[in-house]
Amino acid sequence: MQMQEDQSSQRAITRLCIQCGLFLLQHGAESALVEELSTRLGLALGMDSVESSISSNAIVLTTIKDGQCLTSTRKNSDRGINMHVVTEVQHIVIMTEHKLLDARDVDKRFSQVKPLRYPRWLVTVMVGLSCACFCRLNNGGWDGAFITFCASSVAMYVRLLLASRHMHPQINFCITAFVATTVSGLMLTLPVFMHTSTVAMAASVLLLVPGFPLINAVADMFKGHINTGLARWAIASLLTLATCIGVVMSMTLWGLRGWM
Amino acid sequence: MDVIWFLLALIQDMLLSAIPAVGFAMVFNVPHRALPWCALLGAMGHGARFAMVYWGFNIEWSTFAASMLVGSIGIRWSRWYLAHPKVFTVAAVIPMFPGISAYTAMISAVKIGHQGYSEDLMILLLTNFLKASSIVGALSIGLSIPGLWIYRKRPRV
Repeated sequence: MQMQEDQSSQRAITRLCIQCGLFLLQHGAESALVEELSTRLGLALGMDSVESSISSNAIVLTTIKDGQCLTSTRKNSDRGINMHVVTEVQHIVIMTEHKLLDARDVDKRFSQVKPLRYPRWLVTVMVGLSCACFCRLNNGGWDGAFITFCASSVAMYVRLLLASRHMHPQINFCITAFVATTVSGLMLTLPVFMHTSTVAMAASVLLLVPGFPLINAVADMFKGHINTGLARWAIASLLTLATCIGVVMSMTLWGLRGWM
Repeated sequence: MDVIWFLLALIQDMLLSAIPAVGFAMVFNVPHRALPWCALLGAMGHGARFAMVYWGFNIEWSTFAASMLVGSIGIRWSRWYLAHPKVFTVAAVIPMFPGISAYTAMISAVKIGHQGYSEDLMILLLTNFLKASSIVGALSIGLSIPGLWIYRKRPRV
């Protein structure tokens, strides 16, 4: 009887640990953090040790308690980068470590984690301004910055719209890059912007740079998680390639002047 | 006169890099309490790199030093915010990201495929690819080193 109860509580804790790891992996935390936090949660809830194996599309985790091992596997699907979820999960783990939460509370908190999303219009305007600043930082002039602002705001709106319809990321990036280059390139042909630097065209697609995956990729490889690091690098390269195909398509279709 | 010009350029550079830091922090859904700190870190990082490039260091090493600065300040702040430093440091280094070089390299590759080999395109591809990948490496390793160095194996928060 005691034995069975122990096993069912160990099973519940294993589920919580893997849920913790899955939350972090789905929302773009680096592998070292996924491993660290799921282990800390397990240890705080009374396991002797927690071992995990992380790859880009699945996570396998084993908890060991009094010589009894329990292993579980979950498939991972990318939900987009969301640092709010990462912070929430980390707060839950820290509270468990300080004995403020037990296994049942952790379960309840996990079911209440809701990814934060900023309003679409606000993100659109801010990203437009960001790309305009990039243009100015790369010596594109204020008129170039204005073109970039228009092009990248339209592009960001298209990107968010397609993402909310669950469009495939590569196709989404390709279409968005096409729109951004089309708007900025056609604006550059207007007589008013005759002497504007073509940096504006390059800066208007900077909203599609996969910065977070690339930084995570190098950090993963640097900390010994070679396989997830290579997977992230490959995903980021494919996204960059998709973006470039969109740019080249638009440039050949409209016969725009080059951007270098 | 030179000093005043330098200070004005530095302030403009810092203001211009604070906005992308916040913009991309929103794309990464950083909690809104951390957004002002993202802006401040982004401005400090890019400003530090601007100053170092002005004093004649090359861009890769200045990027490395600037991202180490961002990483160490991020660790300090993460302890009272109780969140992993990457939550705000990655958004803060995005203004230093070599986006234009990465795209130039990739577009030259696509053009070589379209139009056939030419020396100019190959030079453009190689220089930009090497520049982009070494800056990405400098940013990422620079962010990781303070955590590994100061806190070894202990958890930071």
